Amino acid sequence: MKTLPSDIGGEPAGPIDTIDHGMKHWERQANAFRSVVQMQKITCTDELRRAAEDLGDRYKDMHYFEITTSAMRAVLLEKGLFTEQELAAKMAEIRARFNVPDEMESPIKKGAKK
Amino acid sequence: MSSSASLKSTYTPAPVHRYRVGDKVTVKRTFPPGHRRTPQYIRGKQGVVERICGTYPNPEELAYGFDGLPAKVLYRVRFLQTHVWPGYAGPANDIIEMEIFEHWLEPAAT
Amino acid sequence: MTNTTHDYYARKSSDHHDHDHDHDHDDHKQPNPANEHDNGPPGEYEIMSRAMQELLEQKGMITAAQVAKRMELFDEEFPYHGAQVVARAWVDPAFKQRLLADGRAACAEMGAMLEAERLIAVENTPEVHNVIVCTLCSCYPRALLGMPPTWYKSRNYRSRVVFEPRAVLKEFGTELPDSVTVRVHDSNADMRYLVVPMRPQGTEGWSEVKLAGLLSRDMLVGVTVPKV
Repeated sequence: MKTLPSDIGGEPAGPIDTIDHGMKHWERQANAFRSVVQMQKITCTDELRRAAEDLGDRYKDMHYFEITTSAMRAVLLEKGLFTEQELAAKMAEIRARFNVPDEMESPIKKGAKK
Repeated sequence: MSSSASLKSTYTPAPVHRYRVGDKVTVKRTFPPGHRRTPQYIRGKQGVVERICGTYPNPEELAYGFDGLPAKVLYRVRFLQTHVWPGYAGPANDIIEMEIFEHWLEPAAT
Repeated sequence: MTNTTHDYYARKSSDHHDHDHDHDHDDHKQPNPANEHDNGPPGEYEIMSRAMQELLEQKGMITAAQVAKRMELFDEEFPYHGAQVVARAWVDPAFKQRLLADGRAACAEMGAMLEAERLIAVENTPEVHNVIVCTLCSCYPRALLGMPPTWYKSRNYRSRVVFEPRAVLKEFGTELPDSVTVRVHDSNADMRYLVVPMRPQGTEGWSEVKLAGLLSRDMLVGVTVPKV
């Protein structure tokens, strides 16, 4: 049967790395942003969880905040709060603001696996 | 199942509920597509209602942009680990508990 | 962390007066966390997250100040509430009863407002040890404990602690005799959970503040236990 990629309780897995590696700055932004979006009732936990599950096979290869950020993107697009084009334009603007050279651009954009 | 005082439940009433604390219930063994909060590993397992958490909008509908109303009764159900996991390595008194919505529960056969 | 000689974020800081999203900027305050940055070039997801925030700001749905405030709370307040609540429960039996009966209301008494609807506080005793997991995602009482640690979100913890909790606890250095019931809570829906550890012997007469200092986040999730 098809299982949700998030439904992993009971699967064999390796030892626990019991050290907390903390959060990067951008992860703190992503987390606070999610929190505000939910407080403003723009979306809810279950929509974000479902959008994360919709990642399917990609889910297991992604880091936590990559998953949550992808889920946020999917839900906000679904709700028509911005279009793919608007998001792409804003991302290009931010990339330019940070002066990221082309070779450092998105692995996604390049179609890479990860 | 242990009745140690330290495991005593707090009871939170829901206006209408099918099961009571202490009732034996079985989690439906069904695998519908979509967003579900009932982990696969617990489907088909039998447990005992530990407490009634109240009523909450249905996450299976909230997940798709609907309001999840009418709200569903949410229970906490206690399971014996040795029942949930064949070959469980720990002692027979170990337990696992989780939240299960009423529409995922059936009265236990025994 | 990627090593780079280019400080992209320093560049941004130097020209950020040009950007309307920096309206919180104030040279006389601590740096606004929204304007701090990781080392190295921003990744795709970072740019995406920031872009979404700015788009919603432009639509007037959220403000940068709200996000900055939330970051501050997550960093500076939330991580400490859990220990404060448990320390209070250790010194005040009536409060402990209220905490066990209705965790959310008891936490609110202490100024900790939970995002979740309800908090279930579970008490460790000589007979029962509690441990919390969310196998389906990473549900966690964030307003009490801050953000979950890396291991709580990890596949290995989420997969294993439900079926071999004793082995997992051992990896955290916690060994329990078979006479103690291990009670795993899969935080899979609307409740959030807080473990109330046993107050260690040798802490008689300690102040609430000193007791809170004994408590780590890991203890309040149930993977370790306090000792003196």
